[in-house]
Amino acid sequence: MKCSQKGFIMALLLHAMTGWSHTQAATLTLQVTSASGTGIEDAVVYLMPGKPPGRPVQTPTARIDQINKEFVPLVSVVQTGTRISFPNKDNIRHHVYSFSAAKKFEIKLYADTPSKPILFDTAGYVVMGCNIHDHMIAHLLVVDTPYFAKTDANGMLRIADVPPGDYSLIAWYYMRPDRNALVMPLSLKADMTQAISIRTRSSD
Amino acid sequence: MKPARFKTLQSRIFVFFFLLILATQLGSILITSTLGFSIVNKTLGEELETGKRVFIRLFDQNTAFLTQGARILASDYGFREAVSSNDAETIASALDNHGGRIKADLMLFVGLDGRVVSGSTTARQAIDASQLAWLSPREPQRNATALIERINGRLYQLITVPVTAPLPIGAIVAGFRIDAGLAKDIGKITNTDVSYVSKETDTGWAVHASTLSGAPLEALSQALDTDRITTDAITDVSTGSGVYLSLRTRLPSPGGQESVAVLQKSLDRSLAPFRDLRDKLLMLGALGLLVSGLSSLAIARSVTRPIKALAEFAQKIAQGDYSGKPVITGQNEIADLANAFDHMSTEIASREAHILDLAYRDTLTGLPNRAMFHDRLQQAIHTARRLGKPLTIMLIGLDRFKYVNDSLGHHIGDLLLKEVARRLQDALRRGADTVARLGGDEFAVLLPTDDMGSAHKVARSLLDALEKSMTLDDQIVDVRGSIGIASAPLHGEDITTLLRCADVAMHQAKRNSSGYAEYDARFDHNTLARLSLMSELREAVEHDHLTLFYQPKVDLKDSEAHSAEALVRWIHPERGFIPPNDFIPFAEQTGYIRAITTWVLNEGVRQCAEWARMGLEVNISINISARDLMNADLPDYFTGLLKQHGCDAQRICLEITESAILDDPGHALENLQRLDAIGCRLSIDDYGTGYSSLAYLKRLPVSELKIDRSFVQNMASDPNDVVIVRSTIDLAHNLGLHVVAEGVENEAILSQLCLLGCDQAQGYLFSRPVSAADFHAWVQAKTWKEQLRLARQA
Ligand SMILES: [Cu+2]
Repeated sequence: MKCSQKGFIMALLLHAMTGWSHTQAATLTLQVTSASGTGIEDAVVYLMPGKPPGRPVQTPTARIDQINKEFVPLVSVVQTGTRISFPNKDNIRHHVYSFSAAKKFEIKLYADTPSKPILFDTAGYVVMGCNIHDHMIAHLLVVDTPYFAKTDANGMLRIADVPPGDYSLIAWYYMRPDRNALVMPLSLKADMTQAISIRTRSSD
Repeated sequence: MKPARFKTLQSRIFVFFFLLILATQLGSILITSTLGFSIVNKTLGEELETGKRVFIRLFDQNTAFLTQGARILASDYGFREAVSSNDAETIASALDNHGGRIKADLMLFVGLDGRVVSGSTTARQAIDASQLAWLSPREPQRNATALIERINGRLYQLITVPVTAPLPIGAIVAGFRIDAGLAKDIGKITNTDVSYVSKETDTGWAVHASTLSGAPLEALSQALDTDRITTDAITDVSTGSGVYLSLRTRLPSPGGQESVAVLQKSLDRSLAPFRDLRDKLLMLGALGLLVSGLSSLAIARSVTRPIKALAEFAQKIAQGDYSGKPVITGQNEIADLANAFDHMSTEIASREAHILDLAYRDTLTGLPNRAMFHDRLQQAIHTARRLGKPLTIMLIGLDRFKYVNDSLGHHIGDLLLKEVARRLQDALRRGADTVARLGGDEFAVLLPTDDMGSAHKVARSLLDALEKSMTLDDQIVDVRGSIGIASAPLHGEDITTLLRCADVAMHQAKRNSSGYAEYDARFDHNTLARLSLMSELREAVEHDHLTLFYQPKVDLKDSEAHSAEALVRWIHPERGFIPPNDFIPFAEQTGYIRAITTWVLNEGVRQCAEWARMGLEVNISINISARDLMNADLPDYFTGLLKQHGCDAQRICLEITESAILDDPGHALENLQRLDAIGCRLSIDDYGTGYSSLAYLKRLPVSELKIDRSFVQNMASDPNDVVIVRSTIDLAHNLGLHVVAEGVENEAILSQLCLLGCDQAQGYLFSRPVSAADFHAWVQAKTWKEQLRLARQA
């Protein structure tokens, strides 16, 4: 939307890291803050290369636990093709489902770890809930790149082993899952540390 | 005794109580009605307020219930799955399917942007495509909302609940139609009439659902248009079928719309029990009115009936009937009054008896008096008329009573009357006979018979009883009576007639000295003709229809003097000659004789004077009645006449009957003396018919005696009469009286009279009474001289 695009205020600090050859892998260190400058936890940043990445899926499986009627972690990010298992650590049953276009599934009332992990083979946003416990929500971003990370409690993240080149840096935040929080070109030559500021609410 | 009905005591009591009870009844009904109305009004208001509270509570509960349903629906996994499909058809079918579960009339799924994504079949039928966009955009919220909204002219309660998957993806809107069924259900619970009305900014109020119908509904619509009942206060709405109290409550509505539930209660319906009560009261009242009316009538009657009885009793007393006794039982005041009445009646009766005794009894003799005799006679006449029984009355007059009274004194007179009364009573020992003293010397007897034979016997015995000498205070008194007899129905059928007939008969008896006489109509001039006779007689006197005839009195002693008796004659202008007997007795009875005498005196004196001037010396005799003799003015009047006509008093002789003098000797004597002093001569007429003794006559200043014709006429045949006439003439002569014989009708009598030494003779032998002119002629003819000569020769 125009207004939301217009509303984007982007402040980007780029420190070109010389001394790194393009054949050598680089590490991107990033801090995501809100407009007020506080670090944002659970923000996802991923880099989309200009050409399809040749690197295969590095983590073919992932895990989203249910602990104390909460999904843990709340926000996950995986590469396309990842299988995620949903181990139930509670002693009650859960019924995990998703109506998201990227992946529709449900694991009917179960205990312990379901026999089959779920394969997420389409990029996109998947929101999962429990049909028994309405408040249980898990956010999952499936990306077509192996270069992704999510911020820690301080808003810091690190994407390592990125081949130098030109990328689109995309930031996404689960509180406003319907659109990307930030899309910007990034030319990565060497290790780079950057800070980005994003809007955190859909109304922003 | 029937005044206006309303004024009677009875109707007053009745009307008073009736009105009192009526007022009470009406008052209680009025109070009940007004109280009922105010109570109902208040109660209705309270009920409406309660209804409103119930309604709100109900609405909230219902909303919560529907919301709950919608929530459950929204969280249904299958439903969410279907909605998440983003396929309109799928969503529509899910809406149909799941909406059916919660019995929603329409179901919509609204996206996060507030746009309708899809709708149930019913929704699509109710709302066309363009109207889907018309729906007010609503932000799907965490909280459900419930609004009353008009869609396509219909009212719905729209429940909006968010749909999460698990993040919010939109909202479902479940619409529940607000229709008559709902209104009816709610109306039952709130116990009011419920109407759901709404209005948009650009439209007027419209009723969407109501328990009302017909006139009240129309009235509500009209009231809505005037915004009268959309306030929060209780208002009343008049409808064709009564008044409704109304109270509204606002319903949650989207912007641009206003929805209200109007709660109403029919005043009339609530008043119905009171109206029923009022009707029953009215019926009861009418019944009570009837009962109390009847009982007050009965009470009024119980009060007035004895009063009426008393009034009748009092009327009886007024009519003189003391026999009755007021029939009033009980111990109340009216009974006391009745006793007082009874006592009063007894007292009145005894006093009346005493008064009657005084009124009906002659105090002197102790006999019944005239009044009582009248009563008895009246009763006897009644009885006689009813039973056909005859009756006879006798009037008894004492002869010469005044003479006794005058000469012997009133004391002896009274004793005489007492003695007469006693003798009459003794003679009539029969209980059925009544003897009464009518007054003076007049007594009466009532006999229950009409047998004249026995009546005559009774009369005879009465006369016999009277004729025995009585000794009163050492004086021997002889009394004779005359009795007149009359019978009913022979002589008359009423008191007046009978008494008059008896009176006529008594006078007849007295005149004839026959002792008693039965009524004889021939002697009764007292007929109806009397009245006209009276006026005609008056006219005759005033217009000189009377005239004087003269009958010669021939001097048997060869005197040259001429004498004549003047006799009045009546020449009626139409009826011609009227005999003196037809009017003289009548005139004597009525007293009119005085006017006739006045006229006769005048004419006689005038004629005497006229003849004297012509050289004809005539002594004229003029008759004076008993009444004239009582007239104190007579002497003066007579003196005046003599002067006026220049007549010598010596020429006039006044003839007085023997009975006239005896009726009231005292008065008669005085007048006679005065007349005598004037110089005229006085004569005793009809001598022999009364009972006067010559000795008594001697005291009178008379100079002439006329022997009654009844003695003279029979002289030729009856030696006794000759004796009487002779002795009378002798005695008269001894007393120095001149003797005249009347009724000389033949020469034999004349001869005898000449022999007996009678002074004058008068009769048809010489001449009838003739006019003045004829008398003059008779005098000139001198025929009587020859007659006298022949008589003396015989
Ligand atoms: Cu669960």
